[in-house]
Amino acid sequence: MTYKTYIEFRKSLFEKTTLLVDVVKEFLQNIEKHKDLNVFLEVYSQEALDQAVIIQEKINLGSAGKLAGMVIGIKDVLAYKNHGLQSGSNILEGFKSQFTATAIQRLIDEDAIIIGRQNCDEFAMGSSNENSAFGPTLNFADKTRVPGGSSGASAVAVQANLCHASIGSDTGGSVRQPAGFCGVVGLKPSYSRISRWGLAAYASSFDCIGPITHCVEDAALLLEIMAGNDDYDSTVSQIPVDSYSEISKSDKKYTIGYFEDALNSEGLASEVKDLTQKKIEELIALGHTLVPLSFPRMKYLLPTYYILTMAEASSNLARYDGIRYGLRTKNAGSLEELYKKSRGEGFGKEVKKRIMLGTFILSADYYDAYYTKAQRVRRLIQEETNAFFKQVDFIISPTTPTPAFKIGAKSDNPMEMFLADIFTVHANVVGLPSISIPNGETVDGLPVGFQILGTEFEEKKMLEFALNIQKIDF
Amino acid sequence: MEYDIVIGLEVHCQLFTESKIFASDANKFGGDPNTHISVLTLAHPGVLPKLNEKAVEYAIQLGLAFDCEINKFNFFDRKNYFYPDLPKGYQISQDKSPICLGGEVKFKIKQGKVFSSHTVKIHHIHLEEDAGKSIHDLNPNFTYLDYNRAGTPLLEIVSEPCMTSPLEAASYLAEIRKMVRYLGISDGNMEEGSLRADLNVSLKPKGSEKLGTKVEIKNMNSIRFLQKAAEYEIERQAEILNNGGTIIQETRSFDPDQGKTFGMRVKETMNDYRYFPEPDLAPIVLTDEEIKEAKVNMPKLPYELFETFSKEMGILEEHAYLLTEERALCEYFLETSNFTKNYKSVSNWILSSIKGYLNENNMEIIDFPVKPSKLAELIENIDKGEISNSAGQMLMSLLISSPESNIIALAKSNNLIQSKDTDAMGSWIDEVLTQNATKVEEYKKGKKGLIGFFVGEVMKKSKGSADPKVINSLVADKLK
Repeated sequence: MTYKTYIEFRKSLFEKTTLLVDVVKEFLQNIEKHKDLNVFLEVYSQEALDQAVIIQEKINLGSAGKLAGMVIGIKDVLAYKNHGLQSGSNILEGFKSQFTATAIQRLIDEDAIIIGRQNCDEFAMGSSNENSAFGPTLNFADKTRVPGGSSGASAVAVQANLCHASIGSDTGGSVRQPAGFCGVVGLKPSYSRISRWGLAAYASSFDCIGPITHCVEDAALLLEIMAGNDDYDSTVSQIPVDSYSEISKSDKKYTIGYFEDALNSEGLASEVKDLTQKKIEELIALGHTLVPLSFPRMKYLLPTYYILTMAEASSNLARYDGIRYGLRTKNAGSLEELYKKSRGEGFGKEVKKRIMLGTFILSADYYDAYYTKAQRVRRLIQEETNAFFKQVDFIISPTTPTPAFKIGAKSDNPMEMFLADIFTVHANVVGLPSISIPNGETVDGLPVGFQILGTEFEEKKMLEFALNIQKIDF
Repeated sequence: MEYDIVIGLEVHCQLFTESKIFASDANKFGGDPNTHISVLTLAHPGVLPKLNEKAVEYAIQLGLAFDCEINKFNFFDRKNYFYPDLPKGYQISQDKSPICLGGEVKFKIKQGKVFSSHTVKIHHIHLEEDAGKSIHDLNPNFTYLDYNRAGTPLLEIVSEPCMTSPLEAASYLAEIRKMVRYLGISDGNMEEGSLRADLNVSLKPKGSEKLGTKVEIKNMNSIRFLQKAAEYEIERQAEILNNGGTIIQETRSFDPDQGKTFGMRVKETMNDYRYFPEPDLAPIVLTDEEIKEAKVNMPKLPYELFETFSKEMGILEEHAYLLTEERALCEYFLETSNFTKNYKSVSNWILSSIKGYLNENNMEIIDFPVKPSKLAELIENIDKGEISNSAGQMLMSLLISSPESNIIALAKSNNLIQSKDTDAMGSWIDEVLTQNATKVEEYKKGKKGLIGFFVGEVMKKSKGSADPKVINSLVADKLK
């Protein structure tokens, strides 16, 4: 049976037309079969099978949780007690977490099954999954291409049917961009909607946990379970969690904005442009009002994003020093050498680059020129974005300017690599919710994503709109 | 050449909260190494700090005690530097927006019998976390790390550079210690490092506006040493300047055995701590109600009590000063004063007999066995003439060993009830006068001072139980 939505799958479980153990076994076989994709860093086979038995029992007794039997893979930046956590890095060699991330614990409490941890760009820094200490993950649509990043493997896991859903993290597009590249759904909620307790930090004021799923319904359900107040995160929002899972199709008409300049920019691949244009026409045909918006500050998005995330990262990653856990060099004669060598051996190139740039940005002589200014620009962009939302309900765009690119194609051109995030970083800079849904394929069969940006804590409205316009081709 | 002395202090005070400032680990001194730690203290990936509200309340209380402005919107910053005992690679501190601004510490210095009043301006007080401990002396090849202390809440009290003598600096630090103990927010124990001070000393030509180059002496862990270090440093700097030298801006340490300061490392440039706002913690937003609540939970402060004692209760200033040295002493005094209006007598009892006993036995007032109500009862009985003063002293020693005893019963069984039996007194007086006939003659010839001798002799016969005033008048009558 092909998986469409969890609701449907759940029905089959409760009607006993599907046995959970068989489902888990099938996933384990798929994982084994597609090992070449390099998705899972660790598979919790026996645990998953054991859980399947326990949860099957609960299903039989009618006491199973809201996610009974949903098989989930987690990105290697999420803490899961007594399980490995390496953030795709050598510096956390052999590290096992001693506690579970709030978001993951809430899934487990609802009887989801955690099947393994998934490859990613080191410390979530990257747009192609090529920056992992464990090697690149391959796009299932074309194995010569990247799956996007940093939650690349989490997207491929859903794309290649290695689990029902994945939990990733999105700091500048790391859930939506790979979802776009892999033809699946990726949701980044409003900043602080989901507790960050247990998410290895990249850039604290940007980081969001988000689900990658086959469909909008599953993304809504997972968000509903994971979101909400948490004693362990003092920055998490206290705003009550909506019943996202109760979204339904409607013929509500919206005013929808899009950035005209962005759609006409040179960097936009023609097929991506065409598919987006087609979507816009569909929306008009459905009776929505489309409004072109002018966003001259858009060119400041990437600099603002990179300056602030690198600054925060340089501090967040200072704890990986070889003193208390993780990799410690064996060739140090002094304390300074211990630091330099452990970090030098443990971190990959991209991470080192960002730590160095971030350290520079925060240094006394440049702080105002970079950090302070970027903070100011961030506020301006927030104000300007809020002004857009006085006019429109949503802002739409392609998720990425191009479909998935070839492995190695942009490794030597960091600026071009950064451009892959051009449409996604906006949501992180301003803290708004955003979702990427599939929007067809190129002639070569490469998936293209369509992105919706919504207003703060109005995930339900955004998800409902996404549900209305998602196309699922089976 | 003559110089103006300029001293500023940065005082670090560990707060007495049950748990750490951003984690639920126990906040305790001592304990085996690395027993009060958790994933948070060790900065495991994915942990987030959570602010201990008690630490905020304590910070507000100290701020109010020193008349600071409470900053209603303040936030934390990260101070970034690498050191093995700093688990996160940064210290969560407050750089741009400390919780308390301005303020002043007022205190008196007693030299001989003279009090002088002093006011030291505070620049700000901020909240931060303590680091762990590096232990270098267990093994020459290794440094050991104990993270028990990491995350202990600290208040850093930064003074303006406005103190003009080592004695003033030492007294300022003593006043801070007194205040944190009063407020019950810290044990102020300098030996254990609960209270530590960095001392900044500079000299400038007398009357000059421009500050001289300052030298910082780190980690002073005793008030006496702080004063000595300042004294030494002033001498050292004056000598350099007098010889035409210049002072290097540097960090020094004080060796108490030699009574000298030594250079640690030259600060080539300022350390770049790359401060930026801590994104993992929401800003502290305080309402007037919260500040009021913190104030309500505060005990009366020493200078308020000094005023009350000296102005309203008629206690000698010198005694009021001594009583307010310690909160527990004040509390004992105030509680006793609930039961008797003879405040002077209460103060005398506490400062003489009781303090004497405590000092002799190396004991704190809270451990003193005789309860305030008992002391008041004793005083009342003396005032009513039931017990003489000297009998009172004896009763106190008896009470110390059986603090629950009934005072009158105890006095009776020890024959210490002041005798009002004039017959008995009459016969004692007669005996004394007969035995001292020559002195009686002298008295009658005009040597009136002898009356004290007669009274004393009668008292001896009464074993202290007679009222000397009564005897005095009876003797005077008899000798008319």
